[in-house]
Amino acid sequence: MADGGDVPVIGDKPVIERVAARPAEETYRSPGEWVRKNLFPTPFNSFLTVAVGLFVLFSARGLLNFVFSEERGWDAVRTNLRLIFTHAYPEEQYVRVWVCVGVVAVLAGLSLGLFASRGDGLRLRKIANGLNAAAVAIAGGIVLREPSVLVGADGETVRDGDGVVRQSFAEAMTDRWGWWLVAAILAVIALALRRVPERSDGSHPAVRALDFAVGALAVPVISAWVYPWGHYAFADGEFIAEPGRTVAMSTKLPWTVMWVLAVASLIAGRWVRSRVDERALARLRVVVSCTWLLVPFVLYWVVLRDPDLDWDRILTVDMPLALAFGIGGGIVLRWLTKDGIGEFGRISAVALLGLAAFHWVAAFMGWYPMLQKVRISFLLLAVMALLAHNFSGEAAKRRRLVLAWFVITTVFHYFATVMNTPSTVETPTEALIGGFAVTLVVAVFTLMLSFPLGVVLALARTSRLPIFRVMSTAYIEVVRGVPLITILIFFVVILPLFLPANMEISLFASATLGYTLFSAAYLAENVRGGLQSIRRGQYEASDAVGLSTVQRTVFIVLPQSLRASIPPLVGQVIATFKETSLLAIIGVFDILRMANSVIPAQTQFLGIKREGLLFVSLVYWVFSYMLSKQSQRLERRLGVGER
Amino acid sequence: MSISDATVAVSEELAARDDMIVCRGVDKWFGDFQALSGITATIKEQEIVVVLGPSGSGKSTWIRCINRLEAHQSGQIIVDGIELSNDLRNIEKIRSEVGMVFQQFNLFPHLTVIDNITLAPIWVRRKSRPEAEEQALSLLERVGIPEQAEKFPGQLSGGQQQRVAIARALAMEPRVMLFDEPTSALDPEMIKEVLDVMEELARSGMTMMVVTHEMGFAREVADRIIFMEEGEIVEVGTPHHFFTEPAEERTKMFLSQVL
Ligand SMILES: Nc1ncnc2c1ncn2[C@@H]1O[C@H](COP(=O)(O)OP(=O)(O)OP(=O)(O)O)[C@@H](O)[C@H]1O
Ligand SMILES: [Mg+2]
Repeated sequence: MADGGDVPVIGDKPVIERVAARPAEETYRSPGEWVRKNLFPTPFNSFLTVAVGLFVLFSARGLLNFVFSEERGWDAVRTNLRLIFTHAYPEEQYVRVWVCVGVVAVLAGLSLGLFASRGDGLRLRKIANGLNAAAVAIAGGIVLREPSVLVGADGETVRDGDGVVRQSFAEAMTDRWGWWLVAAILAVIALALRRVPERSDGSHPAVRALDFAVGALAVPVISAWVYPWGHYAFADGEFIAEPGRTVAMSTKLPWTVMWVLAVASLIAGRWVRSRVDERALARLRVVVSCTWLLVPFVLYWVVLRDPDLDWDRILTVDMPLALAFGIGGGIVLRWLTKDGIGEFGRISAVALLGLAAFHWVAAFMGWYPMLQKVRISFLLLAVMALLAHNFSGEAAKRRRLVLAWFVITTVFHYFATVMNTPSTVETPTEALIGGFAVTLVVAVFTLMLSFPLGVVLALARTSRLPIFRVMSTAYIEVVRGVPLITILIFFVVILPLFLPANMEISLFASATLGYTLFSAAYLAENVRGGLQSIRRGQYEASDAVGLSTVQRTVFIVLPQSLRASIPPLVGQVIATFKETSLLAIIGVFDILRMANSVIPAQTQFLGIKREGLLFVSLVYWVFSYMLSKQSQRLERRLGVGER
Repeated sequence: MSISDATVAVSEELAARDDMIVCRGVDKWFGDFQALSGITATIKEQEIVVVLGPSGSGKSTWIRCINRLEAHQSGQIIVDGIELSNDLRNIEKIRSEVGMVFQQFNLFPHLTVIDNITLAPIWVRRKSRPEAEEQALSLLERVGIPEQAEKFPGQLSGGQQQRVAIARALAMEPRVMLFDEPTSALDPEMIKEVLDVMEELARSGMTMMVVTHEMGFAREVADRIIFMEEGEIVEVGTPHHFFTEPAEERTKMFLSQVL
């Protein structure tokens, strides 16, 4: 029973959904009528139904027999779960990983509590239909699988996939009582849900979809405490496999804490939401969004990496530098937003940009040494200076600009310092983490970097200035004409050869760079599609009320075009997420490489590959499926806002 | 047409006022096609001018040249003493002095009504948000839809949308308002609510240039009517002159078709 108990449940998820959706929409039709109308309307369609049905049944049986076969080495997956998700992150420091998960759980709970729309709710009846479908699927699975029992050499005894010897088919069926019980419990719950009376106002009883999801997540968490899933681990080169015990404390306790944290922050978010007004809520939204943007950097560079800060250097070099830029830049920006500075201010801003550009040229020519972060700081200041005139006049606005500059300087210098500090965490490979964590990290950083780049490329491609247009078009067309794997190999193998001697770039960084440049080209094309969908009247109206080109782009054009291009953008996000599996080829220990080469090389699990690959596909699928579901929701919600 | 024709029929009282829009010999080509030829006219402060003419006569093109949505190729356009040229600063100044209302409303669909109105005052006029919102609410009051502030444009009727568009233009406190067929995209029952707002605006002393097919509005509200055809000004006069004793043959033809 314990083996792979979770696999069919997740695998059946779409089936549940589809089956559940039908009766809810067409309650007036009897099942027989529905079957006749939809499955057997004409002889030819009946033939197709039967043929496809048989095909599906045989495939399902094949999959079941594969998953539940006695020969399957699921222990290889179970024992190596940590390896699959985080590779060789040291055991003593593992709490850092849990802190990361916890931070994400809290933020997710808070965001959902603060912002998730109430929605229509999930009707109890629909849940009941889903549970019923699951029960039927499980029962069907039991029966479907059983005929594959092998007849023993004596022609009398039969063995099922687990290798248990049985005397008859009936016995085999009754031996599956655990699964029958699960199916029966589901069916009973479904029945109970159906019995819940309609509300007094005649509407169907329903729960919030979010609450249902959170509640459903509690099931595996609680079961880890009570059900003997077994205790498997691979730690310090030792394999531990103790079937029949509950899950190891080092797994079930953290997951329980994560669940409690998520629920608590969900409740906290809702509580705050019920107390504050619209304006405060909008401000909170900004704060939470900014936090989401910062969190990947903090989690990776600070929490996971635990930099070994050199306080002498920080106090004598880094802090003074940051202060100098913060205060100096603040004074410059305040001056640039003075009343009546007019044209002179803009000329000064362009001059600043020239100065910043000069430092970069100097760096490439090797004229004089300079800290990289000083160059970047100059560039940041120049960009802020170019935007400064938007904030001139009113004292409050000027203050906000200076404040924004302080925040940007602080954040930037902090991370620049942290990134340049060696890590205290020691791992056997060059990389800090591997497995699914590296997949997530590369995907998240790629998206965060390629998104702005893609927007800029799209704007450049639709710009009126030919130089921008030509450069952007050339870039996009070149990148789109080259396979991703080529670009990755280029960045990993060839880029380091071009770098100056004193600069080195990690495998992780060069791979992320390659992904970013690749993904940006595709994102740019998607955004361009959105840009083209904007009617000319929007530009004319923006011009007529006097918005500048930058203001028009930021306030009018981009919001509308990004909204219009959400479906392809999410498609691109999912594609990027899945394409990270190419990391395995260029030598990163990602989740695919774990399953494909690391686990099969362990002496205990020599050559066991298929289980791992199946599990990895499942992980990829679950995440991609969640992403596409979310995008559909987002689309629907934004569509409503526009109407 | 000669310059003298374009300036006839200005009453003495009007003639004494300051010039608001001056066009001198304005030409505009789209490729080989000449859309405006030698447009010469002066619009005085607080004057209401209605521009009439058959389809394709260049009315929209002219009105769009006045706030530089289109660039003219020769001649002069001077708005409130500022000459329109390729100089970006002049264009900026003129756009914040001239409000424009379009046939298709062109509201920003992703912003609420109040954000539609306050966007430019906040970012172009550099007002504080509370100040801009207060002004926006009083403008919505003025155009008769104070209760719609938090809605999105898509949730409003055409007439309401056009009134929001007028409020949006007024929020920039323009000295001149341009209207390009503001009621042509509206169902008949909504036309009046928009015309009422425009009439009120005219009474309040705004300088207005209106392209419209609403002859009632032209007759009642206009100080002068300019009739265009094939990119030229054919005839200029008071509504009384224009509707009772038009001088030009082409004007008579046009009037016989539309009245
Ligand atoms: N962007 C453009 N490119 C080429 N030709 C144009 C352009 N815009 C307008 N035209 C042409 O210029 C002429 C004048 O057009 P305009 O839109 O000013 O006419 P109108 O008097 O406003 O007509 P309507 O009453 O139909 O709105 C028309 O013949 C039109 O085809
Ligand atoms: Mg027109």
